[in-house]
Amino acid sequence: MAGARGAGGHPVPAEAAVSAPVADLASDGLLDTFPEGRRLVGTQCDQCGRTMIGARVVCSSCGSREVSRVALPATGVLYSFTRLHVGGEGVRPVGYVDLDDGVRTLADIREGKVPLRPDMRVELGVDGDDWFFAPARGE
Amino acid sequence: MMSENVYVVSAAMIPFGKHRSSSYVGLAVSPLIDALRRAGIGKSDVDAVYVGHSYGGMMTGQRITKEIGLGTIPTVNVDNACSSGATAMHEAWMAISRGLADVAVIIGVEKLTQFGGGTLPLSPEDREVKQGLVMPAVYAMRATRYLYESDAEVEDLARVSVKARKHGALNPFAQFRQEVTVEQVLAARPVADPLTLLMCCPTGDGAAVVVLASERARGRLGMPPGVRVAASVLHSGQVEEGSRDMTKPEISYESARDAYAQAGVGPEDLDMIELHDAFSIAELIYYEAFGLTGKRSAAALLRDGKTTFGGDVVVNPSGGLLAKGHPVGASGVAQVAEAFWQLTGQAGARQIPDARWALTHVTGGGTAGLDHGACTIHIFEAP
Repeated sequence: MAGARGAGGHPVPAEAAVSAPVADLASDGLLDTFPEGRRLVGTQCDQCGRTMIGARVVCSSCGSREVSRVALPATGVLYSFTRLHVGGEGVRPVGYVDLDDGVRTLADIREGKVPLRPDMRVELGVDGDDWFFAPARGE
Repeated sequence: MMSENVYVVSAAMIPFGKHRSSSYVGLAVSPLIDALRRAGIGKSDVDAVYVGHSYGGMMTGQRITKEIGLGTIPTVNVDNACSSGATAMHEAWMAISRGLADVAVIIGVEKLTQFGGGTLPLSPEDREVKQGLVMPAVYAMRATRYLYESDAEVEDLARVSVKARKHGALNPFAQFRQEVTVEQVLAARPVADPLTLLMCCPTGDGAAVVVLASERARGRLGMPPGVRVAASVLHSGQVEEGSRDMTKPEISYESARDAYAQAGVGPEDLDMIELHDAFSIAELIYYEAFGLTGKRSAAALLRDGKTTFGGDVVVNPSGGLLAKGHPVGASGVAQVAEAFWQLTGQAGARQIPDARWALTHVTGGGTAGLDHGACTIHIFEAP
């Protein structure tokens, strides 16, 4: 009965709508090919403009489901890092990179001749299906 | 809102360690029996049971309580990672303070030796866990950034471990009872730079049990006076998609602020703190979060001996997670047991003279976008 109202004046729908599961396991990888090249996948909210890492279906800021897939910047700043000696073979440098659009991502870090330090500029590198960040040219 | 005074009236625990021949039931049943006996009550006096664990599987609480025929009453199993036990405590406190129960038993229990070693298993559904994130890496990145932004040195991270081991050496419940030197800590196997193995809490098994009672029940059942729960606070993490200051965990700052307000005391009133030193860097960061010192000055507090016996506030008199051990779901309840023993003069060689106020703090982490998923803080007042 459309337009019916229950206690407190809340509209009472004729039949409960069905909520749908979110297929968040469908696209797992963070790397994809965009017109600008191979980039990390991000999601931008069409309502509030918040940008997030990964393929997402809901904005974690405003809760909107109106979101778009975007390419994230290939450059950023190394917030912090560690060389991990456990959980795999050998030593694995990982860090948090604050991309130039403000999104933070966990990333493998490739060390070169320049020693790693917080706040250094880093850029995305791609090696087959693997991706990493390395000190930017000029560092 | 109706709010009853709530008291911890008894505590019991097994020493933390590698108890390979004990199940979850085997770990918890003795302290359960001992805690009830020390409270001077029988199982028919218990109104509800709250059980914190993260890896015990289905019905861990009921598997334990049925061994002593403690049934029919509500038994609630609680998972909040490292905050599981303290969350169980918070739930019990809520029920009693609102007048919904008079006597509650809180069990914290975990068996980490079931995993055979390595870092703590995190949710395989998490984005960063899929990328290979483990807890030592999270804390190591905190450490890298803290050392970068402050005057603290890697030796200060080692000094946290040295203090923890010194305290643990006095505690018969501790997993590690040998003291170590700064040199030994720095020379230990690297885990995640700058953290070495001796800057990381160990893997182990454990169980701790406390009994909580209302003022009314305490009188009716003739229980010991116990220590008053002056604050019980539980916070969840808030997602951040962008930059986050890893040296200033908002969840612990805000939980401490709320706990101090609830208890009507401040950091200067505390005689002891049991805090979540899962990795040594955490202790320095939490000195600042709890207002013991200003931003970036935690190392000086530690070096000056202000946070050990004879100092302003004894931090982790039990040895903390680093020395006492960290069986995830058990830790929050074990901290409450330590506070109870300190505030009732039962802490033996590690007794803090005339301790009146204690604060306990655990977090629970390992989720992308959150600093930590959960944080629980309790404040206790001596009788």
